[in-house]
Amino acid sequence: MGYIDTKKSTKAKVTTVGNTPINVVIAPRSPSGADSESLLTTIFKSVKSLFVGMKVTIGYLVRPSTVVTQQYPENRETLKMFDRFRGQLRLIKDENNYMNCNGCNFCEIACPNGSIVITDQRNPVNEKLELERFLWRLDSCTFCNACLQACPHDALEWSDGFEAAVYDRRLLVYTLNDYAGPPVKAINRAKKKEDRVEELLATMEPRKQYGGPVPLAGRKMPGVPALETENTKDNASPKHK
Amino acid sequence: MLENLLTHSAFEILTLSDRAAQALAENPWEAAGYTLLALGGTGAFLSLLGMALIYVERKVAAHFQCRLGPMRVGWHGMLQSIADALKLLQKEDIIPEKADKLLFFLAPVFSIIATVLALIIIPMSPSLQVVDLNIGVIFISAVGGFGVLGILLAGWSSNNKWSLLGAMRAGAQFISYEISVTLSLLVITLLAGSLQLSEIVQSQQDGWWIWRGHIVGVVAFFVFIISSTAELNRPPFDLPEAESELTGGFHTEYSGLRFSFFFLAEFINMFIASALGATLFFGGWMPFHIGGFETFNSIMDLIPPGLWFAGKTAFIVFLMMWVRWTFPRLRVDQLMRLEWKFLLPVGFINLFAAATIVLTKLYFFPGQ
Ligand code: SF4
Ligand code: SF4
Repeated sequence: MGYIDTKKSTKAKVTTVGNTPINVVIAPRSPSGADSESLLTTIFKSVKSLFVGMKVTIGYLVRPSTVVTQQYPENRETLKMFDRFRGQLRLIKDENNYMNCNGCNFCEIACPNGSIVITDQRNPVNEKLELERFLWRLDSCTFCNACLQACPHDALEWSDGFEAAVYDRRLLVYTLNDYAGPPVKAINRAKKKEDRVEELLATMEPRKQYGGPVPLAGRKMPGVPALETENTKDNASPKHK
Repeated sequence: MLENLLTHSAFEILTLSDRAAQALAENPWEAAGYTLLALGGTGAFLSLLGMALIYVERKVAAHFQCRLGPMRVGWHGMLQSIADALKLLQKEDIIPEKADKLLFFLAPVFSIIATVLALIIIPMSPSLQVVDLNIGVIFISAVGGFGVLGILLAGWSSNNKWSLLGAMRAGAQFISYEISVTLSLLVITLLAGSLQLSEIVQSQQDGWWIWRGHIVGVVAFFVFIISSTAELNRPPFDLPEAESELTGGFHTEYSGLRFSFFFLAEFINMFIASALGATLFFGGWMPFHIGGFETFNSIMDLIPPGLWFAGKTAFIVFLMMWVRWTFPRLRVDQLMRLEWKFLLPVGFINLFAAATIVLTKLYFFPGQ
């Protein structure tokens, strides 16, 4: 029975895989005679570890502050989610509601299961590609975080919202951007150069949360009400990509 | 009566059966009243205590695991057990088609009867005990075996391989650990010089056996607490139920009221084991006395004996819950090894040591 003895000092060495240096920890194994430690030592060790366990659990019992479960519907107002909680995908916006995302498509490529579909358009003012629609499918997203890691413009974040249940699966396909148009960088650049800022801002078009190609195209069906979508020309295939 | 309780010099033992016998000579109706009181009282005590213990266990377990436990029904979930009991009563009663119907019906009854039989001889206070048998300790061991008969029958009659495996494990476990329990009971019997529970309590007037009997008492207490946890089929010895391997063990096929009988019996058995531990090692309802210190002793006597008993029993119950929610579970072979290779030799050596101590009067306050 070999086990890793964490008490003994560990040695570390660096190997390279391809060009990446990787730290390898060599865990000391107990000598093969570890099983033959005397019976009394074994008993002493086991009993001691049982008491350590009892100390831990009594610690939890006497300190109610260690309770981690939430009384959810009651504390809905004050509930604070945890730092790394992955609720729903959201585009980061600044105080003017301008987004960072410029529709570079990296997240769509990174997504392992096609939960993101990005559509781009070319801005008539600054002649640059920009985001037209950011479509995110909560129903197929696995919350793997790959999109956040892939994004080079720090444009995505997770919200705290966990109450994602809906009665109609069409409602699980979200358009994340509220406008189609230039990202905050392009706007700032234009402001700096004082180059057709008003015209650039005028190119922004609003986008609704439920718009674009939603399942069933937002149609009314028996028992399923029609979904309010914006201009249905968006429902057709993307203009350019 | 009350004066007797307040003056520590003499605790008059007056069990319900004694009162019934006394009353029988004069007024048979009074005797019948006492009998009914004993019956109804035991029944009510059984169900109320069962519900209370289940609630406490759930709360304690939750806080051991950083949870809150039941919070919705009543203040901090106080009424949760009642809600659960009502739910259990309404459940469909399923009897497997191939089951042995008679035995299937009898098994939970056996279990609960064994529990009631053990419950009636527990001395809860000088005036609160149903019968005081002069062979109390033996009686407790005997009816404990009756309880495991219920489990074996349940496993056999269910006609289900999991139930049978669980029941066989329960049988093996009970037979093995019963020896250790009896050995530790014998130690106290030797020290106290009696098998009668009330006399064992009286013998601790000068100090509880766990410290009057010093090393021997402590060792016997640990052997007792380990092996009675095993007898109760409580984790870390819950192999007969073994949810992960045997779905539910011997009660896999049971539902509704019959299941609740097993469940109730299990929790009351925990109380009985704790009460027995308190009676034998911590002096039962006897207040904390140190032989010779009269002032101290009379201050301690101000607390009523019933409270002493409740407090000590609650302490052991808590100890059992603490162990249950902390310790890792044992495998079947480890279980047997612990008993036959460790507890049994320790128990025997301890018994010899106890005999030596009694002969040489090496325990504390031997004179009185
Ligand atoms: S979290 Fe993963 S699955 Fe979800 S959208 Fe991002 S990359 Fe796709
Ligand atoms: S979210 Fe990031 S990665 Fe995705 S399109 Fe926008 S800028 Fe590119």
